[in-house]
Amino acid sequence: MPPAGIWIDALVQSSTYITMAFGMVLVFSILGILNWAHGQYYMLGAVVVFYGVTAAGVPFPISMLITGLIIAGLGMLVKKVLIDRVSGDLYVGAVTLALIFFLEGLASMLFGMQDKGLANVMPGNMDLGSFSVSYQKIAVVSFTLVVMIAMYIVLNRTKVGLSIRAAAQEPRAASLYGVRVDRVSLIVMGIGCALAAWAGCIMAPVYAINPFIGRIPMIFSLLAIVIGGLGSLSGAIIGGLILGFLNSVMTYYISYYSEVVLFVLVIILLLVRPQGLFGAALK
Amino acid sequence: MNVWLNRFRTFDWRNTWPKVVAAVPVIIFLLIPVFTQGEIVLNMLILSGIWAVAALGFTLILRTGQFSLGQAAFMAIGGYTSAILSVVLGWPWWVAFLLSGIVSGIVAMGIGAVVLRVGGIYFSIITLSLTEVIRIIAQQWEPVTHGSRGLIANPPPNIDLGPLHINFMANSIPFYYLTLLLVIITGLVFWRVGKTRMGGTFFAMAANQTLAEHEGIHLMKYRVIAFTLAGVFTGFAGAIYANYLTVISPLIFGLWQSIQIMMMSIVGGMSSLVAGPIIGSTVLYVLGIQLAQLPIYGISQLLYGAVVVLVLIFLPKGTGLIDLWPRIWRKIYKEVEDYEIPGEARQED
Amino acid sequence: MAFLELNDVTKLFGKLAAVEDISFKVEQGEVLGIVGPNGSGKTTLINLISGYYKPTRGTISFMGKNISGLRPDKIVKLGLVRTFQSNVLYEKATLIESMLVSSHLQYKKNDFEAFLETKSYKDEHEKVVGNVLQTLQLLDLFNETFRPASVLSHGYQRMLGIALALAANPKVLLLDEPTTGMNYEEAQFVVENIKRINEQGITILLIEHNMKVLLDVATRVIVLSFGCKIADGNPHEMMNKPEVIEAYLGTETV
Repeated sequence: MPPAGIWIDALVQSSTYITMAFGMVLVFSILGILNWAHGQYYMLGAVVVFYGVTAAGVPFPISMLITGLIIAGLGMLVKKVLIDRVSGDLYVGAVTLALIFFLEGLASMLFGMQDKGLANVMPGNMDLGSFSVSYQKIAVVSFTLVVMIAMYIVLNRTKVGLSIRAAAQEPRAASLYGVRVDRVSLIVMGIGCALAAWAGCIMAPVYAINPFIGRIPMIFSLLAIVIGGLGSLSGAIIGGLILGFLNSVMTYYISYYSEVVLFVLVIILLLVRPQGLFGAALK
Repeated sequence: MNVWLNRFRTFDWRNTWPKVVAAVPVIIFLLIPVFTQGEIVLNMLILSGIWAVAALGFTLILRTGQFSLGQAAFMAIGGYTSAILSVVLGWPWWVAFLLSGIVSGIVAMGIGAVVLRVGGIYFSIITLSLTEVIRIIAQQWEPVTHGSRGLIANPPPNIDLGPLHINFMANSIPFYYLTLLLVIITGLVFWRVGKTRMGGTFFAMAANQTLAEHEGIHLMKYRVIAFTLAGVFTGFAGAIYANYLTVISPLIFGLWQSIQIMMMSIVGGMSSLVAGPIIGSTVLYVLGIQLAQLPIYGISQLLYGAVVVLVLIFLPKGTGLIDLWPRIWRKIYKEVEDYEIPGEARQED
Repeated sequence: MAFLELNDVTKLFGKLAAVEDISFKVEQGEVLGIVGPNGSGKTTLINLISGYYKPTRGTISFMGKNISGLRPDKIVKLGLVRTFQSNVLYEKATLIESMLVSSHLQYKKNDFEAFLETKSYKDEHEKVVGNVLQTLQLLDLFNETFRPASVLSHGYQRMLGIALALAANPKVLLLDEPTTGMNYEEAQFVVENIKRINEQGITILLIEHNMKVLLDVATRVIVLSFGCKIADGNPHEMMNKPEVIEAYLGTETV
């Protein structure tokens, strides 16, 4: 039985994956394509909040909030100016792939090569009997909880949320009912990118920051939504949880090979039940 | 001047043009080492050619309606096979080289038979995962692959056949011709496949899978054929890569390389099976190298991404860079056609 | 032993039976009509015979061979070819390209010889092209041979569907509501062609809504209702059977 520290890490990892995966699935449901550059918005979130705290001296929580909004704006700009100009799933996918390099290049130019760290914005640990947890990690988990609850409320209890769900399920019918599908798509893109950015912000103090930290979260959130089912929002959450725990526990036992096992599991899952746990079956 | 233009106009362009277009670059490429022995130029062309073969493989698989993010994995398999057999086990170089393609093909066939049942985005994710799995295995399987340290590969031994004396280590020229040979063979084979009945079958599978199946087309068989063909030639490309650079490591062939291969095909133009990937890879590879020399850290990546996005937005869907040539040609031809010939009645076509 | 035979064929989707315990025989050279209101299982039946679905229970056999649940392309190779109710076409391809691509069962030469384009392959190819052009002419599509399928009107797109099915060398042609969306003349034209195709020895299973068409061309008719076979026989008799009228119009209320 792995020590308690592993379970804590599992929870922390799951939280990141959940937030990322949720954002990715949201965008996928509306735009119909995977935003391959999703991880880069995570990275930019960390970068911007870094500058917010160190260069501008704005307190971390406020920095985080503003960063989310900035990155949301960036995402919406990208959608309006680039993605909307291109038609066809493959080409949109290709644009988002190219954006990976563009955004990483941009960050590299601004940020430089060196890993930078955000000094503990929430220093100190909480003692829980035989082990202690850093406040930062607790913040990550609680933040994810808050965000998920907020998302639930927005999607299920507000008009905007209703339009989003309608547009995701049946865009034509929704537009006939007066839903401005193009505007909804833009908002959804913004929300998705903001979620990624916030995941990056909240994790920024935990690990180092550099222009390439977005690559691995993107892969993991992709795996999470595959496990949960490509179109399913609740699937993303469950998938993120499963993935986080599987990854932590397996890394503890078999270290490097844990990634291989994860990928192989995903491959088998896609062969046997491609719709994941909650997705709708195609064909 | 008028007479010359007249001749220009009546020349049968429709039939000769494609052959000219195809032959001229081949001749140019064959003669390049005559004009320049510069290592830098040859190096760029060799590597462009290697990536071109991988991009050709991607495009062939795309012709059957599948997006494979696994091409880098087959380069790895080819490269490692060649290196392990020739260096670690000491087998003759050319035997190891031949086997790199064959082993790649067999692996492709095996994986394809299992994985090609699934289509669309799921297939892409599976190939993506497979690429990473192979990279990680290469990294962790220390006894065989020497892990992250990589393997040292050797170039082929000198060839002495009568008057012919080829030294692979002297300069890049022999590798240049080897790569060129591979590109030409791959291009020819794929071009023939596209032009003949099987090409039509591929098209049908990609255009309407259900209809194709109900017209008697065995989908899996043809998907596996395309996947295997791509695997074989990409394996050879990987072997050349490993032997030319004399080193192979897990870092070279991962998911991000598969993504770049995909971009090479897209930028070149996916409507073209042979010329598109070759043009796309050459442009993107050379662009990447040139940009990497800029002094500002990160600007190369930024510009690389920007160029790809611009091509995707402004060059028509599916035709990519390959469409520029006909457009330019049509502009010239149009100007010729509009040229007023004073004193003579113009013939209407 | 019948040419094509279904025995107690049932297809369940979860608990819902799309078709249940359907049995009938088809003789070689017949034109068998399949008729029934919407949702009675007609298309499911064709999907089962063509291999698109696997039967949950029961067997389908063709020329003595059990074909239940075989892959669609295998069933086509045995000689059973279907058309589709909706427009299932190669949208961007020209008619000649679509037809050639669907004609590959007319070749005896395998793919490798096709790749090499040997002389004997080329000779065969010429013959196939001839067949293709003839088929296009038969269905009044000849004028659009070099144009993409998307320029055709709906009615002619359905004709193209029939042409594509003929290209696959069928022994049995399964037509799924071929006259839907056609005007009177086009429908008549299709009926004439069905007769002509049948005269060449091809057995036909014709799913139709339109009883008039069936009266004209079918030798026998099967009536489906809610997934079950409720009548089987001469089309004229069918029209008057109470079960059939009830299936279409509902029971009489006193």
